[in-house]
Amino acid sequence: MAVRPAELARPVAGRPLTLRSLFEREGVFSWVMLSPGVLFLLAFVAYPFFYGIFLSLQDRRVATAGVFVGLANFVTLAHDAVFWQVTRNTFFYVAVTTVFKLVGGLGMALVMNQTFRGRNLTRAFLLLPFIVPTALSTIAWMWILDPTFSVVNWLLVHGGVISSGYSFLGNASLAMWSLVVVNTWRGMPFYGITLLAGLQTISPDLYEAAAIDGATTTQRFLYVTLPVIKPVLVIVTMFSVIFTFGDFQLIYALTHGGPANATHVFSTWAFDIGMSAGQLGMGAAVALAILPALAVLIVGLTFYLRRE
Amino acid sequence: MSSRREFLTASLAATGAAALAPRWAAAQPKSMTVVHESSFIKPFDEYFVKTLSPEYEKLTKIKVNYETVSVGSMLTRLTTIVETKSGPEITATGINWPHLFDPSLVDVSDVADEIGKKLGPWHDNIYDAVVVNKKWKALPWGNIGQLEVYRTDWFKQAGVTKFPDNWEDLLAAGRLLKKAGHPFGFELGHGFGDNHGWLYPLLWSYGGREVDKDGKTVLIDSSETAAAVDFCRKFYKETMFEDVLGWTDVNNNKAFFGEQISCTNNASSILEVGIRDFPDIAKVTDHALNPQGPKGRFHVFNAQSHAILTHASDQAAAKNFLRWLYDDKQLSRWLVSANAYYAPFLQKYDNHPMWNAEPRYIPYKECLKTSRLHGWPGPPGHQASESVAKYVVVDMFAKACRGDATKDVIATAATQLKQIYKAKS
Repeated sequence: MAVRPAELARPVAGRPLTLRSLFEREGVFSWVMLSPGVLFLLAFVAYPFFYGIFLSLQDRRVATAGVFVGLANFVTLAHDAVFWQVTRNTFFYVAVTTVFKLVGGLGMALVMNQTFRGRNLTRAFLLLPFIVPTALSTIAWMWILDPTFSVVNWLLVHGGVISSGYSFLGNASLAMWSLVVVNTWRGMPFYGITLLAGLQTISPDLYEAAAIDGATTTQRFLYVTLPVIKPVLVIVTMFSVIFTFGDFQLIYALTHGGPANATHVFSTWAFDIGMSAGQLGMGAAVALAILPALAVLIVGLTFYLRRE
Repeated sequence: MSSRREFLTASLAATGAAALAPRWAAAQPKSMTVVHESSFIKPFDEYFVKTLSPEYEKLTKIKVNYETVSVGSMLTRLTTIVETKSGPEITATGINWPHLFDPSLVDVSDVADEIGKKLGPWHDNIYDAVVVNKKWKALPWGNIGQLEVYRTDWFKQAGVTKFPDNWEDLLAAGRLLKKAGHPFGFELGHGFGDNHGWLYPLLWSYGGREVDKDGKTVLIDSSETAAAVDFCRKFYKETMFEDVLGWTDVNNNKAFFGEQISCTNNASSILEVGIRDFPDIAKVTDHALNPQGPKGRFHVFNAQSHAILTHASDQAAAKNFLRWLYDDKQLSRWLVSANAYYAPFLQKYDNHPMWNAEPRYIPYKECLKTSRLHGWPGPPGHQASESVAKYVVVDMFAKACRGDATKDVIATAATQLKQIYKAKS
């Protein structure tokens, strides 16, 4: 006789309802198991998020009670030239690094998917930038980008390419491009390892069939590889964009938004306004300014995943 | 664990134990915690931990913990403490912080009066930093001065035997030194101290001001500011190199010890580190007051103080500890351990033996007279801090140095300041 789940959960007539019998119910036990995770998300994700929205609607200075000001903080930001510079910086930083990481990460995955001697060692080394704590690797980059001690400048000068070293972090354009390079270096393994997982799901039969049909290497990549890893590619890009929008440590340690705000992004500017200036309401408003762009991405990701 | 019930029981037991742990901790012997930014002078922190704290514990049975946070992150830590109303009972404060955290700080006027009577009177300019609405909200122990740090050997080689007394003469010396391969390196990037350390004094010494005393009238758009900006551009182009535009506070120290620069603006920590790690460079390093401009000589004020947080369960005990700490028997020894890094605001200490140990530190005492808080002569409150956090003055100069027109950089700064001070356009 088939037993339906509802019958399993129902207490047997005449049996007293004890704690033990309560936990034997699937529904109750599931919620007990789920509740730590749900509580964690509520406490550390939902609460800060809604508190951030609450703060952004207040003139709230540190150590004082807030005064509700509606959207005044956002109106003030809209009239601030630095806010628009920060917006441009953030979108440039996210767009360029995403393209670099996507192309580089795909290349990295394709190489790591080949069979060659020392493949496992290579895979481990390629993951290093992702494994090393950002604060530590950033210190190494500070030395690499230092005008006096930079190994890049040393090579260029001693190689006769240039007569004096570049100011990687002092020049506004070079500073932004330097940050792009460092972020790409750090983020590429995330693409590489995730796309490699996607590549390994492709059946060799597909490539054999394509080869028998006379497909070239490029055609096999375009019509076999890409379509199969497309879902992974989309998801990894979406996540990477979200992470890059919130990038803080690297920029804060290398330039702190300088020179003259040339590398300030939403996260670093929000921190300066909220923590250094003690303007918690305005700082929250700056942080939330990323929300529309992120919301579009999240909605896009959700729709894509449902469709797939 | 054979069943999910056992797993659940074990989990609940662990959760219960974790929840009860703080209650057990609360029953431990009485103690309090003082939070400080890590001092550049290691013996200063060590003296508290190894000598002062054990002495106080022996005397009162109260253990005083000494929590340190990394350099530059004290303001963030204090914000967290104040917002969560938990953590250390006593905090170190800097610059104008007593004004920012006023509602969360205990009135310590009574202790300040006692200290003033015994070791004072207090220097006049300290009141701006720690007295809020006529109440002392923090007890200052010393100022971290920002002065000129330079290489005596290279200056002499260039024919400059005495450190220049005004900005124009320093520019002339800088030209010679840059030509000799020893450029200057003054921070123009987004650090937290070494940029403000010379750019505010430069602005003030030419007569430029951000805002008037009323905190409502923005004064930055003036011919005096324009003169300071024009000088800064010239000073940068003729004595420095592009990288200073992106420097944060570590870079000038690194460049000085890398023998890349001959002069910078910094606290005495460069000499301190030099004596310890680079003795040859330390021998040819000296300090000087900031040069004067047409309207005088200025320095930035960075008063280091102790404040008691209102969430402290036993505020009287915290006051008693500070009363003991600021007694000459303790304070004098602690200041000596810092090698004159902190210049005290108490007149009895103006001729303290600590100043005799190393005469090169004496300018850090002399600069107190001409030191002003960021935002001066405006009120030392939230708006002044917002201007500092947004690098309004620093970026005004930095943009001019990278080539922007003087009138444009001043106009941008004026717009920002009007927004910050909610002044009429």
